[in-house]
Amino acid sequence: MRDRKPFPKRRRPTANRTPSLSSRSSLDISHEFMDLALEAAHCRELPTFLAGLAARASEMLQSQWGAVAEIHANKVELHRRNTTIPANDKQRDWIISKVNVRRPGLEVLPCERDHSFCVFFPIYASDHELMGTLCLRRSTPEMSSEDERLLAALASYAALVMEKVRRFSQLERSKKQWVEDIDAISDYIVVHDQAWNIVRTNRSLASHIGIPPVALVGEAMRSLRHIAETGSALPCPFCQNTHEQREEYTATGQGRTFLVSTSRTRGATEEEGRTIHVLKDISDRREAERRYRELFDNIQEGLFFATPEGQFLDVNDAMVRMLGYESRDELLRADVSAHLYPTRAAKERLVRTITARGTLRNYEEVLRRKDGSLLHTLQNISAVRDAQGHIVQIRGLMLDVTEQKTFQSQLQRERDFNQKILNTTQSMILLLDTAGLISYANRRCFEAGYRQEELIGQRLVRLVESSHRQDFEAALQTTANGQQVENLELRVKRSDGSVGHFSVSLSPSRDESNQVNSVVVVMTDITDAVLLQAKLAHAEKMATIGRLVSGVAHEVNNPLAAILGFTDLLLEDPKVPESAREELQIILRETQRTKEIVQGLLSFARQRPAQREPMQVNSILRQTIRLRSYDFSSHGVEVTEEFNENLQLAMGDPQQLQQVFLNILNNAYDAIQESGNHGKIRISTRQTMGYIEVAFIDNGTGVSEPDRIFDPFFTTKPAGKGTGLGLSICYGIVRAHGGEILCWNNEGESGSTFVVRLPIASESALAAAATEAGR
Amino acid sequence: MTGTNPTLAPILLIEDEPSVSAFVRAALERKGYRVVQVSSGAEGLRQLATETYAGVISDIRMPGDVNGADVHHWIQQNRPELGDHIILISGDTANSETQSLLSGSTTPCIEKPFRVQQLISTVEKTFGKP
Repeated sequence: MRDRKPFPKRRRPTANRTPSLSSRSSLDISHEFMDLALEAAHCRELPTFLAGLAARASEMLQSQWGAVAEIHANKVELHRRNTTIPANDKQRDWIISKVNVRRPGLEVLPCERDHSFCVFFPIYASDHELMGTLCLRRSTPEMSSEDERLLAALASYAALVMEKVRRFSQLERSKKQWVEDIDAISDYIVVHDQAWNIVRTNRSLASHIGIPPVALVGEAMRSLRHIAETGSALPCPFCQNTHEQREEYTATGQGRTFLVSTSRTRGATEEEGRTIHVLKDISDRREAERRYRELFDNIQEGLFFATPEGQFLDVNDAMVRMLGYESRDELLRADVSAHLYPTRAAKERLVRTITARGTLRNYEEVLRRKDGSLLHTLQNISAVRDAQGHIVQIRGLMLDVTEQKTFQSQLQRERDFNQKILNTTQSMILLLDTAGLISYANRRCFEAGYRQEELIGQRLVRLVESSHRQDFEAALQTTANGQQVENLELRVKRSDGSVGHFSVSLSPSRDESNQVNSVVVVMTDITDAVLLQAKLAHAEKMATIGRLVSGVAHEVNNPLAAILGFTDLLLEDPKVPESAREELQIILRETQRTKEIVQGLLSFARQRPAQREPMQVNSILRQTIRLRSYDFSSHGVEVTEEFNENLQLAMGDPQQLQQVFLNILNNAYDAIQESGNHGKIRISTRQTMGYIEVAFIDNGTGVSEPDRIFDPFFTTKPAGKGTGLGLSICYGIVRAHGGEILCWNNEGESGSTFVVRLPIASESALAAAATEAGR
Repeated sequence: MTGTNPTLAPILLIEDEPSVSAFVRAALERKGYRVVQVSSGAEGLRQLATETYAGVISDIRMPGDVNGADVHHWIQQNRPELGDHIILISGDTANSETQSLLSGSTTPCIEKPFRVQQLISTVEKTFGKP
């Protein structure tokens, strides 16, 4: 910029200079400039001064009029004494169009239409900014070098004053702005000097005290002591160490907390040093911080801030407790992440997920406490990223759900246990709603053959036999009223259509409000048990009878022996007359008959067979059938044999067994004869569950009371035909062989079935029998 | 009908039932046997300890401390010469105590009620004729 020299070089006055248009003396000019200087010194208003300067220039250079065009950033302002010039807008516009031109110096331009001329001289600031242009209207374009110099002097004088005024107003503006800025700051600002007197305060501080800011200037800093208590012994309540250039601390006063920031400036001399205190009211922030900290410390959930690598930066007490550490410091000090995660993979999984997703909600993680025990947690984690998107911190909230987990797994175990019971029990377990509809059936129900659609959503009562339905409905009602019903015996339709004997228990199940909302039904098929019980009762009865008849038989045997013996002796006595002899024969016959009865009773009550040898049941059967085959074929009774030819051996007395089989065959034959049917006897043998089973199925009249058929003296045959001991003896023999004999009427057809079961001989019994035979 | 032979040692009959022992005694005496009759096992053992007998007929089931099985056992132990001169009388041969006594033994057993012929033939076979 320095090379640009808008001003013409000042030339020394020379002898051959062009004659000036003016005829003023140097003295006049000096006076003019002195006046100008005085005007400048007292200049309050730049426009007035510039208009005066333009008028003076016009006069000095014999012009028609003069003006100074002041150039602002975006407009041009014309300053002149006589405001009627220029004469019209057009002229004015022309002039304005010419003034805002950076010309190096003087320029004279002819005016349009009226033969006059306009002289333009630029006014540059010291930094070469074009501040304005001096304009003169003249009748002639001629300008002497003297005139030009005068013009340059005037322009530079104008520049000087304009620049001064501008700077001054700029300074004023900036000072005003500065005060406004300072006043706009809500923090309290006070500046004091070395003598501890207030130099400045901002509006916030002044209004806090309740007086205008200027009123505080010059007051002692001591007067501000009430704002905040710092305990400082110095005359300024906010200064603590005057040797420090900067200080920062918090102070409290009037219930507020202030962050006091102090800066000290050093002036040219010691006296000029200033101390600036800024008091920032941080009460709210402190309160917020306090609340946050309180929350952070007292919350039951664990809170943590950690590096992306897992090193804790801050944790709350709950977190410390959760992880089983002594103190926050211990947890923060330790590099826990390796210990915390039971597996490396768990930690990597977390880092991977958080990197990908940024936040994790209800993230389940098992952590390890300090003592090594496991902690089940539920975490909410968020990642804090920097501008580049890198994770710089991980923040999280952690819930200890170990108890819930333990409870949950205990619940799971219990559920599994219950499920196992439900699934493996031999009872059918069903859940009914209060309307009696089945909503659940355990596995056993389906194993028993019921189909899903037969049960779920159906009424259970449908499975109950109609004669028992009322009982069931009553029990259901009782249970719905909250009472348990146990061991109700019902006949229930099985999945295959057969009817079984079931023990049914109903228990009410209640909801949270203790209302019965469903009924648990446990049904057990006790048909077999009922049968077994009947069998047991029968066996017990037979044993009782056995003991009774055995005792009776023994007691009868002695007198019988005497009667029989003396009758024999009398019959041998030749002195006994013939007539008496006949009567003695009758006594003898009846005694013999009594003897047979007693022996029959004894064989019924017998505990073990007379003989024990290996027996081929099939061959004993065949021999027995052969004994009666003539009778059978001559009476048209058809006998079919369905023998399992691979039967194992049984141990016992073949004679006695033959007696049993014969007895059963005789019974069948009699029953067939009685019925008048075309007789059929089907005899089958098979092996089942350690027993050899022989079944005799006839199509005779059947048995009136199958349960009593084996009782001694129970007979359906006419009096005199049979003693009523035949089947009792069979019963005694089979029982003595460790077997059982059963009888029932055929279902759906005439006739009855007798079954004899004999235990298969054990290896040891066969070996013992072989040794016995070899002796 | 022969009378009793006084030179022959008598038969000891141990039977608690008077009617039975009366019949057995009458039947035997008619055949010429001498019979000493006691009504309990204990008394039978006392007789056996002091007197000489050609044989012993004993009921198995008897009241008191000594039953037929005990008598049988005592004879095997103390009068082995009489070991095969014992006849047992039983109310029920099929009952288990009788079975265990008789199994593995050659001692004959007559089951009540029995005929005179049955008794005499067993006695003659076991003790010989009088």
